[in-house]
Amino acid sequence: MHVYIYDEYLNKTKYNRAINRLEIRLTDLGLNGKIIRLGGIKNIKGTIQNEIKLGAKTIIAVGNNQTVNKIIGAIIDTEIYGDFQKKTLLGLVPIGDDNSIAASFGIKNIDEACNILLARRVEKIDLGLVGNYYFLNQASIQSLGTTIEIDDYSLEIMEKGEVRIINLLSDQKETIKSNPHDGKLDILIRTRKRDESLITVKNLKVSNPQEKLIVDGVVEINTPVQVGIMKDKVSVIVGKDRLFE
Amino acid sequence: MFSKENKLEKFKDAETIIGASIKVKGNFQGQGNIIIEGMLEGSLKTEANLFVGDRAKVVASIESKDAVINGELRGNIKARGYLALGGTAKIFGDIQYTELSVEKGAIINGQLSMLAEGDRRGDSKKAEIKNEESEK
Repeated sequence: MHVYIYDEYLNKTKYNRAINRLEIRLTDLGLNGKIIRLGGIKNIKGTIQNEIKLGAKTIIAVGNNQTVNKIIGAIIDTEIYGDFQKKTLLGLVPIGDDNSIAASFGIKNIDEACNILLARRVEKIDLGLVGNYYFLNQASIQSLGTTIEIDDYSLEIMEKGEVRIINLLSDQKETIKSNPHDGKLDILIRTRKRDESLITVKNLKVSNPQEKLIVDGVVEINTPVQVGIMKDKVSVIVGKDRLFE
Repeated sequence: MFSKENKLEKFKDAETIIGASIKVKGNFQGQGNIIIEGMLEGSLKTEANLFVGDRAKVVASIESKDAVINGELRGNIKARGYLALGGTAKIFGDIQYTELSVEKGAIINGQLSMLAEGDRRGDSKKAEIKNEESEK
């Protein structure tokens, strides 16, 4: 059974056309299933967990990065995770802005998303962890004043720029390679002097008294905070144009 | 003959790059190739190759396979393979190597010695085992 989780913001009338198009396309392809609209639900975690208990084979996030993160947050590290890992796949249908996670999986629009759901190409993906918050793409922070502690050494960044802690690349033009199956995070530091640093690690601690760590472009987290990775944690339906091998 | 260009080719797929605006403090250990353009204080050890850029400042003991040094190093270096010191290199420490090339202009203030056979390229594990046995 497919379960489509529609994010709250899709209640706005400007998304009606997109939703109609999605539902027609899903019916055409025989992919229709149960629809859950997060707009009217207070216990989001409980609702998603219940659908997995009831035997959902695919949970599809219809929305943006936040929708995906809400679903992951409702599943990982809960008693339902064992069932999810064995039986359930995660699918994505991007609508609106902030859809870098879908872009990483090679899903650019509604039509493509439907075809990808039909093709059912599955990849196991690592999950990044910042404090108690999970992420698929990356966490980022301003570089000046940021200190990163790794194992037995620390990094101090002396120029303005950005620190990105990457699990899954979201930009097709990016020159570095990042593997979301390797159980490692790539720390990419780019400063305004066009200076680039790259370090691959499993765990790190980020501190900056002035700045917050931004997770998947949407959630702000205070530092100091521990960042880690969990290998092959989620099975995702991906497109053939995904940004990783 | 020393060739900076040829040596840089080796580092195209470097696992770790420490840029010019980064300062590393502590004991850094790696498996892959490492490029240092910034500052490092402590120690550095890699199973693979090391490139130190001409603006880099390293105050550390270093151990690697092949190494190309163009910057300033205060500390001892042990290159189990080939060690190339560029014309801008300033070394204040002892140097151990299997093969060595020194470009005109390089400054060396320390002792140079060739590694014993068991310590050379690819023999690091053998050397460790030997050391453990001799300790017993």
